[in-house]
Amino acid sequence: MVARRSGRILAGAALAAALVAAALGVGAAAGAGTARLARTTAVGIGAREYRFAVYRARVRRGTVRFDLTNYGQDVHDLVVETRGGRRLGRTGRVRSRSRATLALRLAPGTYRLVCDLANHAARGMRTTIRVTR
Amino acid sequence: MSWTEAHVRRLFWRAGFGATPAEARGWAKRGRAATLDWVVDGPRGGARLRGPAPHLRGRRLDPADVWGDDVLWWVDRMIRTTYPLQEKLTLIWHDHFATAQQDTPLMLAQNRMLRRRALGSFRALLGDVTRDPAMQLFLSLADSTKDAPNENYARELMELFTLGSGYTERDVRAAARALTGFSSRYDHSGLVSIAYRPDQHDDGVKTLLGRRGRLGVDDVLDLVTAHRDHAPFLVAKLWSYFVATPPSAATVRGLSATYRRSGLQIKPLVRAILSHPALYANLDAPDLVKCPVVYLAGALRTTGTYLTQDYPTWMLHQMGQMPFDPPSVAGWDWRPAWMSSNAMCQRFALGNYVVTWGRPRVRRGSAPATLTPRQAFQRAWSAVGEPHVSTATRSTLEHLAKHFFDDLDPRWRDTAGWRGEALQATLRHLLLTCPESQLH
Repeated sequence: MVARRSGRILAGAALAAALVAAALGVGAAAGAGTARLARTTAVGIGAREYRFAVYRARVRRGTVRFDLTNYGQDVHDLVVETRGGRRLGRTGRVRSRSRATLALRLAPGTYRLVCDLANHAARGMRTTIRVTR
Repeated sequence: MSWTEAHVRRLFWRAGFGATPAEARGWAKRGRAATLDWVVDGPRGGARLRGPAPHLRGRRLDPADVWGDDVLWWVDRMIRTTYPLQEKLTLIWHDHFATAQQDTPLMLAQNRMLRRRALGSFRALLGDVTRDPAMQLFLSLADSTKDAPNENYARELMELFTLGSGYTERDVRAAARALTGFSSRYDHSGLVSIAYRPDQHDDGVKTLLGRRGRLGVDDVLDLVTAHRDHAPFLVAKLWSYFVATPPSAATVRGLSATYRRSGLQIKPLVRAILSHPALYANLDAPDLVKCPVVYLAGALRTTGTYLTQDYPTWMLHQMGQMPFDPPSVAGWDWRPAWMSSNAMCQRFALGNYVVTWGRPRVRRGSAPATLTPRQAFQRAWSAVGEPHVSTATRSTLEHLAKHFFDDLDPRWRDTAGWRGEALQATLRHLLLTCPESQLH
């Protein structure tokens, strides 16, 4: 028998908030976070050793919400920077089978996505995303 | 066999996600054969989605990129499909060929494949599963080469997917060699393709399940599905999703013969299971625990409630069945394992959700406090889709209704509509979460 994979991805604060609302009878008002999503483009990203999978390689200008899932074994993060290397934002360190989001307002252009932990970027965890008008 | 609304409800829950009152009445009149034909074959022209597409406070679902929307996308299909058995089989195959921890677009692609193959040839389904990128990455079949054959997929292929027994470690190693050759290619944005490369395939002679030769991928799949243990294995596995009591040896033999005679087609086997008298045993005492997905999708479907919130994703997570994320390659633990204390708490939260956001929510002025206990019960029961309720539960709820206003001066009852509405919300919640509602 092979060692079987197990475990669940645990969402963070969003999950806790939703569960509290559910426990209270789901009578809470619509979450502001979800309302904001209406004006936001989400970009799913999967991280593992040592590459990113970007589910949407091109987005329109505006607020871009990076939804990072760490499918790997190591801790990873996501840094968004301009092509010139100016850092615009960074998720926290994301443990194995956990997730994080990072929302940024981005103008048209090409942006680098990297994991800046250890030598992960050099080993392949770097890619780009294009923001269009 | 007589054919009543209770039979229709049993069949619709086991083969799908429950029956609305109109469906129960209508199909009871049409009879057993017509109902089974409709359930098994689906509507002419294939499945469609009925009713409004989800808009979560103005935004459309984005299944690939927004976490949780993949789950909502699938639950929405379960609620709105005109071919529930196809969705049920998709869920069953997702458990049988459990795959997890893969990028969402790959999981969605696998889900579409499982749906396309849900009721067709098992051999064709197995072929597509074997070549499916999410599965190949999950069980390390991708990049298993002649120099380093990986045994994960070969082992689960025999143990979990097709046989369960009747093979040896030597067979596993031979199958692993025969399955080599799939090679992945990535670019800077992720997986580009998984392709078969003959130069990475072990084309040497192997002996698998008694057959010797230069065996390849399709030879392995042909051999495992032709093995004498395959049909009884698959029959018992599929039966367990539909009927709580294990099949007798004679039933397994009969269903295996049906499956083999059809050329390993899934639909005739499922039709035979859904026609079996055991499925309709004890109509007044359901004995199969609804898995969380069926409980949730069924509660929404049978009450005419469409998705307008993202809470169902979180609830399924807490109930212990997150679609696209089974706990292991063996799938989920079924039946009573679903009923942990935490999961039950979430099932109660789902009742709150339906009563708060769903069609059964209580409108102001709709439920005066002057209704008799029987009228109050009847109104609540109708509002939640006339589910099966035992005599004992009904009696308990009418007792609750009878004494709900005991603290209220009788002279005030005419003007205490809000208390009548509170009673209705309570009754509807309890009907959605009572012991009978957890079973089908």
